[in-house]
Amino acid sequence: MTAVIEIEGLRKSFHSLRRGRRVAVDGFDLRVEAGQVHGFLGPNGSGKTTTLRALLGLVRSDSGRMRVLGIDSPHRLPEVAGRVGAIVESPQFFGNFTAHRTLRLLAVAGGVPTGRVDEVLEQVGLRDRGHERVRGYSLGMKQRLAVASALLKGPELLILDEPANGLDPAGIREMRDLTRSLAAAGVTVLISSHILGEIQLICDHVTIISRGRRVAAGPVDEVLAGFDRHEWRIGIADPDRAVAVLGAAGVTATAHDGHLVAHGVADPELISRTLGEQGLWVRELTPLRPDLESVFLELTGSAPDPAAPRQVDDAMLPPAQREPVIDLDVRQDGEVSA
Amino acid sequence: MNLIRAELERLAARRFVQLMVVLLLAAFAVAAATTVADSHRPSAAELEQAQTRAAEQLAQLEATHERCLRVKAGQLPLDENDYIPADCAEIDPAQMEQLPVATDFLDGVFVFAKDARPLLYTVLAFLMLFGFLVGASYIGADLNSGGVVNLLLWRPRREAVLGAKLAALSGALLVFSALTSAAYLAAFWLIGQAAGQPGRLDGEFWAGLGGSYGRGLVAVLFAGAIGFAVATLGRHTSAALGTVAAYLVVWELGARLVFDVLGSGRPDRVMLSSYLTAWLSGEVRLWDGYACADGSGFCDGFYTVGWPLGLAVLLALTGGLVGAAFVLFRRRDLI
Repeated sequence: MTAVIEIEGLRKSFHSLRRGRRVAVDGFDLRVEAGQVHGFLGPNGSGKTTTLRALLGLVRSDSGRMRVLGIDSPHRLPEVAGRVGAIVESPQFFGNFTAHRTLRLLAVAGGVPTGRVDEVLEQVGLRDRGHERVRGYSLGMKQRLAVASALLKGPELLILDEPANGLDPAGIREMRDLTRSLAAAGVTVLISSHILGEIQLICDHVTIISRGRRVAAGPVDEVLAGFDRHEWRIGIADPDRAVAVLGAAGVTATAHDGHLVAHGVADPELISRTLGEQGLWVRELTPLRPDLESVFLELTGSAPDPAAPRQVDDAMLPPAQREPVIDLDVRQDGEVSA
Repeated sequence: MNLIRAELERLAARRFVQLMVVLLLAAFAVAAATTVADSHRPSAAELEQAQTRAAEQLAQLEATHERCLRVKAGQLPLDENDYIPADCAEIDPAQMEQLPVATDFLDGVFVFAKDARPLLYTVLAFLMLFGFLVGASYIGADLNSGGVVNLLLWRPRREAVLGAKLAALSGALLVFSALTSAAYLAAFWLIGQAAGQPGRLDGEFWAGLGGSYGRGLVAVLFAGAIGFAVATLGRHTSAALGTVAAYLVVWELGARLVFDVLGSGRPDRVMLSSYLTAWLSGEVRLWDGYACADGSGFCDGFYTVGWPLGLAVLLALTGGLVGAAFVLFRRRDLI
């Protein structure tokens, strides 16, 4: 597969007199291949937006190698800029301009036919509001306008930073459909988002960043499979006896709210057969597969703890501290290794 | 070229620019209207009276000069009321820059030839302020609103983007200032024709006015570029406004007082206003408070700063600021 985005060993730190040096991205790697819809996940302050800004030449990286559509970025980015549509972190638009004028000026500046403006406004659902001033737009409408600006070029690669920000459920669904239709048309899409359910629905590949480093990457199914503990939820009339029967068969099970959870069972037949042989009839047997949210929280260590509310800076890497990283490396053959 | 075209459209569409243009035109209209209201076309009798007074004034000047020559020659005794300079050429009417003319003695009459230069300086001062504010707000608002980042996602060449913005600003300012100030002068020329006196409009007058006009347009471009550069350096419109306010208060006012207390002879030499004035008016005569401190004999305590030095200082300042803005913008993290 052809890589359309390659980032290797990206490092970026920010310096300020008050807060000193803060490492935002620390040796981060990312690979997005042609045709993928690639989710880019990470807690607030983990380095997602800094990575995208560095890739697009908006911030200067300290070190690392980046390529976009096979071209070194940011030095030769202008050569492929016309094929890359991007929005980065809730873009702001000039409030006194209408959406139509905003897009038309971008089209003129970028040498894109201005006829595209109406097309993309229609595409993002702003056709009837395109001649209103942006100042009066809701956050969701501004987000749609941002996506429209990214689509204006008819890009081969679309980079969307939090595209669902401020969108209502219907808007999120429209954005999902739009992304799918673009992907179906051959556009490679990199989406950074916090809405993990959406990412799981839309994306075929995912990269997770925490404290400026990649902690997981690969096809969504394979990343999730890496965290599958082979747990099963069992509905049964006599849970206490069932725990004893399963225990005798070597299966660990625990009772939860009138149900059992069996752990470490690869084949569910073992459960139904063991219990059935003892006259215990299973009325529910459901696999407890990890979802992206649970994997994300586990990998990034960002699960909520009522006793110690997590601070935004917890996601940043302290200057001289390196933590062990669970790095799932995706090899060319798709194998995932810890 | 597309980028400059888009930037010109963006500049013209900005509410602040439109508001400033309206305010500028309103100020011009008020100035013209009050001039028309305060002026009248002189009657034949007024003109005749003014011509008589001018002739009397001229005759008096010639008589004073003649008396000076005769006193020096010992043909007349020195009267205590006489002003007799060391060299009578100083009061020779033939060597004076301007002789009394009838229009000097017309009360309540707008005379274009006499008032054109101050009018031009007024409009240029307006336009310089306009250029500075528009230049600063144009890039300041764009940096703040994310417009620059949006543009860089389309055209990821920072120098080209900033250069296009500066070029669009400078081009628009030049055309607008040239047309506005020409229209302003033309309006007052018409007022002079219709409701006042045109005065003596010879080739020398037009050449002088044209020179001031050209230099003024360059000064407007400097002001726009400085506002643009300082706002770029400070990432905000208010950075430019704050810098100018601080400069005026701390340096032009505060430092001048300090120089005065310390007894510095030529504080004007380190004030930007001196060089701006020199550039606009061709030259500026400044007073050296300590040049004649010894009190021995005749001493001319003035010194002159000419337009070439004024231009050099303004060019160095503008070039330095614009250069720094480009260098910093090229290296800056846009977050």
